[in-house]
Amino acid sequence: MTTAKTETLRMQLDRSANVRSIIKQFYIFVVLALIVLAFSVMKLDQGGMFDRGQFLSPDSIINLLRSAVPILTLSGAFTLLMISGHIDLSVGSAMSLSAVVYAWMVLNGFSFLPSFIVTLVLGCGLGFLNGYLVTKLRITPVIATLVTLSLFKGLALLIVPDGLSAIKGSAGQVMPDWINFYARREVFLGLPWAFWVAVLVIVVLSIVQRRTILGKYAAAIGGNRLAAELSGINAVKMVWLLYIIVGFFAALAGLARASYMSLGDPLSGDGMELDCIIAVLLGGTAFSGGEGSIAKTVVGALIIICVTIGLMTVIPAYWQTVAKGSVLVTAVVLNHLLVQDKVKA
Amino acid sequence: MKPTENVLEIGDLVKDFPGVRAVNNVSFDIKRNTIHCLVGENGAGKSTLIKILTGAYARTSGQILLNGEEYNPHSTRDAKQKGISTLFQELNVVDQLTVEENLTLGMEDTTLGFLRHTDKINRMVSVMNNIESSIKPKQLVSSLSVAKKQIVEIAKAVAAESNIIIMDEPTAAISESEIARLFTIIKSLRDNNVTVIYISHRLDEIFELGDYVTVMRDGKHIETKPVSEIKDRSELIKMMIGKTVFEQYTPREQDCPDTILEVKNLSNHRLRNISFDIHAGEIAGFYGLVGAGKTELARAIYGVDEYEGEILFKGEKLKPSPDKAIAAGIALVPEERRSQGLFTILTIRGNVPVMNMRKISRNGFINDAKERNVTLEYVDKLKIATSSIEKEAGKLSGGNQQKVVLSKCLFADADLLMLDEPTRGIDVGAKSEIYSLIRKLSREGKTIIIFSSELPEVMNICDSIYLLYDGNLRATLRNNCDCDSEKILHIVTGGE
Amino acid sequence: MEAKEIKHLREPLMVGKLSDESFITLFMLGILAIVFAIASAVVPNFYTVQNMLNLVTNNWFVIILGIGVTFVLITGNYDMSVGGNIALTGVLSVYFCQGANVSQNSLANGLGLPYLVAVGLALLCAMGVGAVNAFFIAKLKVPSIIVTLGTMMLARGAAQVITQGAQRNTSLPDAFGVLGSLGIPGTSIRISVLVMITLIIVAYIFEKKTVFARRIYLIGANPEAARLSGINVGKYLTALYILSGLLAGITGILLASEFKAGVSSRAMGYEFDALVIALLGGVSIAGGFGSVLGMFVGAIILSVVTSAATGMLLSPDWQFTLKATVTFIAILAQRFALEKRRN
Repeated sequence: MTTAKTETLRMQLDRSANVRSIIKQFYIFVVLALIVLAFSVMKLDQGGMFDRGQFLSPDSIINLLRSAVPILTLSGAFTLLMISGHIDLSVGSAMSLSAVVYAWMVLNGFSFLPSFIVTLVLGCGLGFLNGYLVTKLRITPVIATLVTLSLFKGLALLIVPDGLSAIKGSAGQVMPDWINFYARREVFLGLPWAFWVAVLVIVVLSIVQRRTILGKYAAAIGGNRLAAELSGINAVKMVWLLYIIVGFFAALAGLARASYMSLGDPLSGDGMELDCIIAVLLGGTAFSGGEGSIAKTVVGALIIICVTIGLMTVIPAYWQTVAKGSVLVTAVVLNHLLVQDKVKA
Repeated sequence: MKPTENVLEIGDLVKDFPGVRAVNNVSFDIKRNTIHCLVGENGAGKSTLIKILTGAYARTSGQILLNGEEYNPHSTRDAKQKGISTLFQELNVVDQLTVEENLTLGMEDTTLGFLRHTDKINRMVSVMNNIESSIKPKQLVSSLSVAKKQIVEIAKAVAAESNIIIMDEPTAAISESEIARLFTIIKSLRDNNVTVIYISHRLDEIFELGDYVTVMRDGKHIETKPVSEIKDRSELIKMMIGKTVFEQYTPREQDCPDTILEVKNLSNHRLRNISFDIHAGEIAGFYGLVGAGKTELARAIYGVDEYEGEILFKGEKLKPSPDKAIAAGIALVPEERRSQGLFTILTIRGNVPVMNMRKISRNGFINDAKERNVTLEYVDKLKIATSSIEKEAGKLSGGNQQKVVLSKCLFADADLLMLDEPTRGIDVGAKSEIYSLIRKLSREGKTIIIFSSELPEVMNICDSIYLLYDGNLRATLRNNCDCDSEKILHIVTGGE
Repeated sequence: MEAKEIKHLREPLMVGKLSDESFITLFMLGILAIVFAIASAVVPNFYTVQNMLNLVTNNWFVIILGIGVTFVLITGNYDMSVGGNIALTGVLSVYFCQGANVSQNSLANGLGLPYLVAVGLALLCAMGVGAVNAFFIAKLKVPSIIVTLGTMMLARGAAQVITQGAQRNTSLPDAFGVLGSLGIPGTSIRISVLVMITLIIVAYIFEKKTVFARRIYLIGANPEAARLSGINVGKYLTALYILSGLLAGITGILLASEFKAGVSSRAMGYEFDALVIALLGGVSIAGGFGSVLGMFVGAIILSVVTSAATGMLLSPDWQFTLKATVTFIAILAQRFALEKRRN
């Protein structure tokens, strides 16, 4: 009798688990579609971001995608790190620092390639430091990266000369025009290099996640670190490498931001860590790691961009923080309902 | 290299822990391509021995020869590379990866970091499918049953070309039909040049499966011989218990007529329809082997785990939550001392009064003098050996740690005290102190339930004995009337 | 008598060596002395009474926040929402107080409530933020860092909405500025500093003497054992987050009164400073370890370092780098010292 009852119960559970896994698979696309639909029927401000007040006009889409470049560049690597069960709260500051360094080099007469390479190497260095603190000195990831958040931000502020708010052209020193070629000049379908690089990054990282040992080991470490280590995986090395990768892409994102604005703003990356967390959580990556999808993080990133930029046109800018906070809370709740259920069982 | 006859030769192996010699001069050989069973009661030293073999512990002295060569692994990984894989009781598979990914984890063929689909994968998958054809390589491991996850682990060990696979209680969490399947697999492993070291408390399994059996007791090696030379279970059981004279159990003078705890049709993930009554003032013992459901039963009564059914304490239905249980007058000494019972980074003084803060405080403020005195009282009463009550609890020896946990629960002033494996991993002296304490408490009118996998413990202090097997309550005995240890072991190892 | 005899025998048992917490507090006190000595030697006008006083009084707000953050950290959790909460509470206290329908400018119109009512309501909202944190952390088991970063945005965002991204500072009753301006005559000590000192003393007694605080340590030391010992972990986490919210609220009200304005960008980064001083004071995120007194010492260390930097005419931009460096050094030094002591 009891067995029969348990059996039916189990079947019901299985069925609800199935429904849940289907919802989990597709909900994020539905959410994005709904948001796009909502903004398309809304009357948006003329001018500014949106061409003739239409959300779906080609120009509007191009504008949206251009502003999405930094988060698209960064969130893939961030996802990989979260899959391994780790977090990096310093990405925003790493971005700012890279933006400042890049702008400083360009302003001081370096040509594109050296500035580009030095900035990316710097990014790897920042990631290296985070990885060292977390894996070798075994400082909790949250604390370690919160403190490097402050460190990187401080360095960025120090590079900017007193009295200026950013590294930018002045009477004495002119910022070369070409600084904004990377993130502004249209090269294909009205979109700049930076965007196509971001697309390439997403594609490459998706392949890395699915087809290389790095992606697999990240999942194994996040899923069951002990099992991974017993299988001979050097978790310390892998996690360290993931931090370096995140640092690298934070630098690439910072560089795109500097190029887009033609200046190096030491605060330009502020809040990026939260955007990344929101995107990753919306994309269904578990808090504790083990699984996740870069493709879905990208959808999550687009949702944030749509919400923040779309909302900016219907309501005043000072609503933006609340809007973003609400999206984060929604992401947490959805993630709890759809992903974390296994924990209880 | 000419294969030696013995794949593993253990000589004069010793492992000391503070205050305990867990493995005491153990010597025996394991023949190549056999299924070698290792039996013994809890605390006999089996797990310590296994942990030395897998590299988790370093031996104190002695030597181990693997294929005739000195073997001294410094980690589980190292042991694996040398050809010894282990299936631990906790599964070591990554749920979020597919079966195929788990099989190859750590052994991938790659080009520039890209995974290559080589013959190796096919070979591993076919190894697995030879063992169990119903598992699909692309399936997520989280969708598999425990038994099938185990098979994935076995396949992984086989595919890694291990020549020794150690299995620690592999049947503890799987069903009868799955066990039969597992046995077929284990036998076929032997036929394919793998030596299996098999640890189990279920004696029938030894007879069904084993070629050789080694019996251990109190850290010592008792006997190694072919299973075929052993007459029956009772001979094996005799070797396991030895000539241990149980401390004489003194039957209770007066009866305990009042029921204090009623459990009705209790079921959950591990327990099946368990019902019993406990009388006020008695010492009840639940005996069963690892995985029989003792801890789960204790946790259900205490309200830690969810359950179906009803539990009445002093006639009232218990609400399932530890704080409610304590308020009602129940206290639990949990199974895992360090992770569930003790606050290791706090002092003894910080540990003892935690379950009854009201008694050492007024209006929410702690009375330091009372706190100290209470702690001192328990240090005296339980003879906790320490230089100071301000010593960190985690730095005490196992027996003294357990006494601190006991003090904590005693101080809760509970009417019903549940003790889950109260003497696990502690030395003989501390053990007997704890037994006499339990008897004393019972004389003072407390009701006590012991959950134990050590038979002498149960036989020596319990008035009534409840036998658990595989989540079922198999028998209830009055001590000293119809108890003999062989019959009990017969029941709890699955005999009818 | 016999009882006396037993007591005599017991005495050795009662003597413990210094607890690790006191050891770390003393250790950091030593470091403070060294840092202070160096600063006095190097920085002109550093070794003056007024400056020493300022080291304590200028940081009253971080220290008040630090109390809540310390207790939350001891349970093994974070509270990053306190900065946003200060801004929100300050803005709300202004909004509730501003005269109703007094001006064309919507930023000058409030609800026209009496000051005390306004303060009470604002504090309730601050505790509400804590309650939201607690719900997600204790009930839904979401990592506290993610939850409190989210409520940080929500609280700050709400402050921005109410002030339309700027501040509210007009049509306030006179009572509004009283709390922030009164003080001990002839000194730089204002009510806010007295509140801070009171709270530190209360928190110290609370930490050392109460059952509640003891349970916080138990939860941090071993949450599972705490649960099995009958402690309702969720209840205590909830109370702590509400307490942390309340402390942020008090800070917000005092700051708003001092500036006679509710500014939406107030207290940016204070959550980080509060965390840093707790870490400097030896609070461990592994849980179950730390003290309010340590946090206080940590606050003074940070204060010495930053004001020495200012005294050496370093630009304010140095503060982020300095804080980070000091924190890392402190974490590693504490770990090293504890390991040395234990072996």
